[in-house]
Amino acid sequence: MRIEDLQVAFSTEEGPVEALDGVELTIHQGTFHGLIGETGCGKSVTGQTIMGLLDNNARIKKGRIMYREQDLLKLSSRQMERQIRGNEIAMIFQDPGSSLNPLFTIKNQIEEAIKMYRPVPRERREGLILEALQQVKLPDARNLMHRYPHQLSGGMKQRVMIAMMLACNPRLLIADEPTTALDVSIQAQFIKVLKDLKDNLDLTILYITHDLAVISELCDYVSVMYAGRIVENLSMYDLFRDPCHPYTEKLVNSVLGVSTRLDQLEEIPGSVPRLINPPPGCRFHPRCSEVLPVCSQEVPLLKEVKGLHSVACHRR
Amino acid sequence: MGSTLLEVRNLKKHFPSTAGWVKAVDGIDLKIEKGKSFGLVGESGCGKSTLIRVMLKLLEPTAGQIFFDGQEITGYSFKEMRALRKEMGMVFEDPHLALNPRMTVFDIISRPLKIHGLARKKGDLTVQVVELLQSMGLQTEHMIRFPHELSGGQKQRIGVARALAVEPQLIFLDEPTSALDVSVQTKILKLLEKARQERDLTFFFISHDINLIRVVADIMGVMYLGKIVEIGPKELLLDDPHHPYTRGLFSAVPEPDPDHSITEIQLTGEVPSPVNPPPGCNFNPRCPHADDRCRVEEPEFRELADGRRVACHLY
Repeated sequence: MRIEDLQVAFSTEEGPVEALDGVELTIHQGTFHGLIGETGCGKSVTGQTIMGLLDNNARIKKGRIMYREQDLLKLSSRQMERQIRGNEIAMIFQDPGSSLNPLFTIKNQIEEAIKMYRPVPRERREGLILEALQQVKLPDARNLMHRYPHQLSGGMKQRVMIAMMLACNPRLLIADEPTTALDVSIQAQFIKVLKDLKDNLDLTILYITHDLAVISELCDYVSVMYAGRIVENLSMYDLFRDPCHPYTEKLVNSVLGVSTRLDQLEEIPGSVPRLINPPPGCRFHPRCSEVLPVCSQEVPLLKEVKGLHSVACHRR
Repeated sequence: MGSTLLEVRNLKKHFPSTAGWVKAVDGIDLKIEKGKSFGLVGESGCGKSTLIRVMLKLLEPTAGQIFFDGQEITGYSFKEMRALRKEMGMVFEDPHLALNPRMTVFDIISRPLKIHGLARKKGDLTVQVVELLQSMGLQTEHMIRFPHELSGGQKQRIGVARALAVEPQLIFLDEPTSALDVSVQTKILKLLEKARQERDLTFFFISHDINLIRVVADIMGVMYLGKIVEIGPKELLLDDPHHPYTRGLFSAVPEPDPDHSITEIQLTGEVPSPVNPPPGCNFNPRCPHADDRCRVEEPEFRELADGRRVACHLY
C-alpha cells in the first residue's frame, strides 16, 4: 500500500481542522509497519481513511491510497464494503469490548464475518472458526466459541477480534492501539500471538500506537507522525539508534524505560499544537531546539536519507 | 534510616457484591519512611487504588490499622480527619476530570488554602498561588484561565500545584502521567521530583506502568490480588526480583530497545477473581514453582537478609 499526499479536513464548529496534511507512507507486503505519534496527531484518522470509515464531517481534500494497483479513494462505498473491507483489509480497535456484539456468541460473530467475506461451504465454517481461535492461542477453543463476549476478559476479546480477522483471511490488518486497554502480562501474551502469526502467515500490519516499547517488539518499519504530517519514515532499528528528525529524537529519549534515571530523560517544551490553527511552516518548529529561519516559513518535504529512511526537516 | 511517616498493619477492605465479598485489599503491611518515594505497581484490579483510598480514609477499612506520623488514625471520624487532610495530598490520574471546569485556576489552587485557613489576607492568597504556579513552570496569567483552556500537561501541573498548596507531608499519586503524552510526561516528573526535594515531601505512587515506577521510586512494591507480594529498594527488585509474580511481571514489560525482545511468556493465564481468591498463596494457579504447600498454606510476608520483604514459600 502506498499513501500519497493525503489531506483530510474535518469541519467543526470552530472551523476546519486539517487533520491530515500531506501524509506520505508506504507499507511493504509482509512487514509490520508502525505508525506512531501523540494524541491528536492524526494516526487514527489515517487508519480510518484507509478503511473508508471517516465521520460525516470529514472531507478528503487530496491524495491517493494505492492498494494493489487501485486507488481506494476512488471506490464507491459499496465497492469498499464488498471488495476491500474485511476480506482485503481488516481493522481492530482499542476497545475490544465495544467491537463485539454482546448478544451473540463468539462463534456466531466469527461465522457472520466468514459468511460475508469468504465463500466457503457451511460445513467448513466451524473448522475455520476453530482454526482461527487456535491460531491466536485461545485455550479450549471448542467450548470458548459458544460463550458470549461478557464472559471473556479484555485480552481474550482482543484475541477473538484477531481470530475473526484471520478467519476472513485479509492481506492487510490495521490495528489501532490494540493493547492500550490491556494489562502488561496480557499485552505480552498478545504481542507473542502477533509475533507467531508474523512468522507463520504472510500478514501485513499497520500498527497504530503511541507506545514505542510495543513498536520495538513488533515492527520492522515505522512512520512518525506529528500534527497531521509524517515527519520521518525509518526502520525500527534506526528509530532507536539513528533518528534524524528532532521530534523523533526527542520523543525516543522521553520514553520511560529508555533510562531509569529521570535526569537522563528528555522533555519537549510546550505541547502538541491544536490543528485548528497549526503553526506555519514546519509544525514542530515552536518546540524545536534546532530551529532555522526557514522553518517557520516553508513546509519541509520528506527527503530520502538512505534507502527506506526519509525525513521532513530543513536541517537534514 | 528516617522515621516512619505512614504505616498500615494487616489492612483489609472487602466490598459486598452479589457473588460474595470482593477482597480488594486483603491484609497489607506497609511502612513508608519520611522523605522517600514509594512506588506500588500492580495490574488493573489488584486493589492498588482501593488501598490508597483506604489509607486516606476516603473508604472505611474492613480490618487493620493505619498510623500517620506515629498516631493511629484508623478510628478517626470524618471531622478528625479533616485536619489531617492537610498533611496528605492527592494527585489523580485524569487531569481533565480532576479539575472543576467552572472554576478558574486561581479558585482551584486557592480553595484548599482557604479551607485550611492558610491565607489570611486576600493579597497573601494571590502571592501564594503565583508562587505555586511558578514552581510548576506556569505563568501568572494562567491564574485567570479555566481548565478547558489548558493542555493536558498544564492541567496536571495545576493538579500538582493544588496538592502542594497546603504543604502536605505526603502526596499520593494515582497514575499521574498515564493520561498524558510522552513528550510532556517527563516535565511533570521532573517538576514533581524537584518539589519533593525542595519541600522534603514523601511520595506514594501507584501505577500499572513499571517503567514509570522504575524512574520515580526509591522503594518499590508489587501488588497482586489484594496483597503485596514483594517490597524493597528499587535496585534490589529490578536487578533480582524474587517473587515469581514480580519476575513474570517484569519480564512482560516491553522495552523501547530494538535489541531487547520479550522471549518467554512467564505469566500465563489471567488474574483470578478477588471474590474467591485461590486458597494458600493466591498466585499458585499461575506460578511455575507451585507445589502442594502453596495450595494450602499462605506464605508469610518475610523480611530477607538484603532488606526486602517477600511473600513466597521459596524464600
